[in-house]
Amino acid sequence: MMTQFDLELKQITKIYPGGTLAVEAFDLQVEKGEFLSFVGPSGCGKTTTLRMIAGLEDITSGELFIRGVNNTHVKAEQRPTATIFQNYAIFPHMSVKQNIEFGLKVRKLSSAEIKKKSSNIIDLLDLGSVADTRESSLSGGQKQRVALARGLVTEPEILLLDEPLGALDANLRRAIQDELKLLQRQLNITFVFVTHAQSEALGMGDRVVVMNAGRVEQIGASEDIYFNPQTPFVAQFIGKNLLFNGTIQNATGKAGVIDTPNGQFKGRIVGNLAKNKSGIMVVPSEYISFGKTSKKEMNSFTGHVEQASFISNTVIIYLRLANGERVKIETHVEKVAGQELNPGSQINGYWPVNKCSIMLNENKG
Amino acid sequence: MDKVVSLRWFLGIFTAAFVLFLYGPFIVMGILSFQQGPEGGPQFPIIEWSTYWYQHVFGLAPPSRIAPLPIGEALIRSLTLAFATMVVSTVMGVLTAQAFRQPFRGSGVVFYSVILGMIVPGVLLGLGMVLLANQVGIDRNWWSTAFVLHVVYTYPFAFLVMLAIFNRFDESVEEASLSLGVSPAKTFRKVTFPIIFPGVLSAMLFAFTLSYDEFPRTLFTGGSDVTMPIAIYGTFAVEIHPNLFAFGVLSTLFSFSLLAVYGILLTLSIRRQNQRASGLQEDIT
Repeated sequence: MMTQFDLELKQITKIYPGGTLAVEAFDLQVEKGEFLSFVGPSGCGKTTTLRMIAGLEDITSGELFIRGVNNTHVKAEQRPTATIFQNYAIFPHMSVKQNIEFGLKVRKLSSAEIKKKSSNIIDLLDLGSVADTRESSLSGGQKQRVALARGLVTEPEILLLDEPLGALDANLRRAIQDELKLLQRQLNITFVFVTHAQSEALGMGDRVVVMNAGRVEQIGASEDIYFNPQTPFVAQFIGKNLLFNGTIQNATGKAGVIDTPNGQFKGRIVGNLAKNKSGIMVVPSEYISFGKTSKKEMNSFTGHVEQASFISNTVIIYLRLANGERVKIETHVEKVAGQELNPGSQINGYWPVNKCSIMLNENKG
Repeated sequence: MDKVVSLRWFLGIFTAAFVLFLYGPFIVMGILSFQQGPEGGPQFPIIEWSTYWYQHVFGLAPPSRIAPLPIGEALIRSLTLAFATMVVSTVMGVLTAQAFRQPFRGSGVVFYSVILGMIVPGVLLGLGMVLLANQVGIDRNWWSTAFVLHVVYTYPFAFLVMLAIFNRFDESVEEASLSLGVSPAKTFRKVTFPIIFPGVLSAMLFAFTLSYDEFPRTLFTGGSDVTMPIAIYGTFAVEIHPNLFAFGVLSTLFSFSLLAVYGILLTLSIRRQNQRASGLQEDIT
């Protein structure tokens, strides 16, 4: 038997009636119990993709499989998915309990079964104290849990979450992130989670899909996305990378060389590079050390401090590089111990050649 | 400073005049309805306070030269017509507004052809209906030709009310319902309709009251069995007696009680919405 994925997208494309291409040829395979995050700037197509999986948006072309069953043209109400909306979309004219039981009542279940399932989920999500109240008297976090309970009680095969934490304040968001992750492990249901916040996507997702302008930029595990960006967009959007534009000098073997106005750097090769093409050197801020080095396996650069600000154990340094370019480096305070960080002072930095990568600058060909 | 004071005086007098002309006719009518009968006429001074004309309306006064108001059947007709118009116009208004939630080809044309029903002068529409009925060979009746025109007239009002309601309707609750496996028809019944209900109530009120005192369209197309407004017009075209005033007071009180019911229902749903709003506020603070 072929491996059966919980969710499979084959060349899914969405073109709006006006001709706008929202999602282009999206291929994806999700295994059962996976927590998958979609992340990207607004308008990148992540919500449109989620809505296509939910059946709330028509699929222009391509095919969608849920547990091996073709769902491309199945109506929303007949798909084994449940969606959690950004504004929670709690039914305002029903109590919390009625909200939760609403999806069960249309299924042919005995009232005893309905009662059992709803009280189970009410216990699981700790909603007992508000079960008989309406949306109006719930806090943001409670609304969030009601929306979750309402979706989960119908036992969907896939739970789709559209920026479900967007409306919460930072502290609550943090708490619910953990709760959500725990809940997903407990229930072993596939979660597809849409967010515009990279920290949320990386923190929660087993795997992350980075999208931009309707296209998938990179799919991979969180650490992989963070430390090994495959495209300039991912390098800029995810993580705290320092980028140097330049011209590719050598692209043979595993390591390449790039000439930049701030020096010649060596690094791992990502993708197919060609000599004399415009390229980008991507350096995760975490790997940058400060001070002087003469080691061969290190790249180094020089700059002048414009401003440095400390936020608890993190320091953000704005540097003016040798060529006049302004860059931002975010790093741990330990890394800059003993360094002069007053505005105007010169600072040297270096990083290992095996921790940085060189990729084509697609925009410049 | 002087300018502000004089502006205040001007606005004060303006408001007083507005209130006077708004309620004056009704107050005068109310006072004169207690005129002595049957000799007392529809003018001041009040010869003697009495409830004679109220008794006259209900046929309880001793027989006199003044004929009782021919309102019994006309009233029933008008209420029936208004009720039927209300039901049909509101259902059509809700469904049309629902259709307008998604853009469709030709929506502009449809919009203006619906709205036309309330813009075209009633006399013209009534006359046109007469011509059409004669051409086609249909009898004119309050329950046929007049009913159609009542719907044509009130349907745009119901439609516009519902359009405004749907305009600020949050679609995600419907999508949430679909995603829970509930069919579109059931979603409309169980989710959409309860939420838009206050709007539906307003549309019903509009349709009912507009139909209840509709005159020009009914005059032409109502046939020989007249509705209330036509019947009243028929009586005072000859001679006015204070029994008309007594009836006016009674029917106004009836309208007020309808409004009160509407008000109570609306207050209940608004209170619910306010609770929702204050719940939101707690989130922010």
